[in-house]
Amino acid sequence: MVVYSFYIFDRHTECIYSKTWLPTSSDPSGGGPGTTTATAPTNTGTPHNHYNTTTALRPSTADDAKLIFGAVFSLRNMVRKLGGDDDAFVSYRTAHYKLHYYETASSLRLVMLTDTATLSMRNVLHQIYINLWVEYVVKNPLSPVEHKGGVGVRNELFELGLDQFIRGLI
Amino acid sequence: MKLPSCLTVLALIIINKAGGLIYNRSFHEAGLNKLNTNDYLVLAGTFHGVHAITARLNPLKPRPGNRSSTASSSGPGGLLIRPEPPSGLEVLESENFRMQCFTTLTGVKFLLFTDPTQANVDLTMRRVYDMYTDYVMKNPFYQLEMPVRCDMFDRKLGSYIREINNR
Repeated sequence: MVVYSFYIFDRHTECIYSKTWLPTSSDPSGGGPGTTTATAPTNTGTPHNHYNTTTALRPSTADDAKLIFGAVFSLRNMVRKLGGDDDAFVSYRTAHYKLHYYETASSLRLVMLTDTATLSMRNVLHQIYINLWVEYVVKNPLSPVEHKGGVGVRNELFELGLDQFIRGLI
Repeated sequence: MKLPSCLTVLALIIINKAGGLIYNRSFHEAGLNKLNTNDYLVLAGTFHGVHAITARLNPLKPRPGNRSSTASSSGPGGLLIRPEPPSGLEVLESENFRMQCFTTLTGVKFLLFTDPTQANVDLTMRRVYDMYTDYVMKNPFYQLEMPVRCDMFDRKLGSYIREINNR
């Protein structure tokens, strides 16, 4: 099982957190999978800078986040139209990757991209919400209620906890 | 209600290469919500766009800018390596249904809605595609990209799906 990337979108459709675990391109010195972090991709002031400092294959995380949100939002509406209001979009798969989706009652949307062989990650996303988001972001007294531009999401405990949790799965 | 062990095909939608709805039929009353014709057309167009986005989102694919270098690189034996064609959405899962999407080489999309427990509908999809080629494409009165109104296709498809649903 390989996890490629993880995104959080708030109820204002803004991407407030994103993290990628893309494998380094066939770089002999690379060794294991490299980790690149890009939080608050709405701050697109220095996208090229970001690309140069990492070995990720995809340069623009901000554009990806927007595309992912668009796709996920349309599919969610489509599913609810066809399956009824109690239906929920769970995942989709292409020949190259699989996208998992989880939406909380407060319209917080968690999205994860993995390889195609992975089974349902719905419970994993639920665990991330319960054990990491609620514990380290919601219960943080210094964190604002609205995370505009990703404020308050990227704290040390959340980052560390998420990275350890995902690496524990692989 | 529905037996979990048997395959239940709920509906079939065919979208042409421009994103227009050309065929829409539901086989099961209790399956999906009924929408009006306009909503189905919107749905087909939306799916067409989303399908194109999902093909672009591949996290492992190099950017189009880098592709020119990989396209011209020669592999073992001096053969040109062609990059893998992008693939859009193939399977969509929700709590109430499962949707399999098959894109033909000419860009026509077949959406088959089934029960969520059903894992393998490739064979059914293949059979539906065979019927499409036999009774729609070989029909001399069928105009390309236009809605499918072929009596023979309707009948054969209906009996095939009924056979599956009653198995």
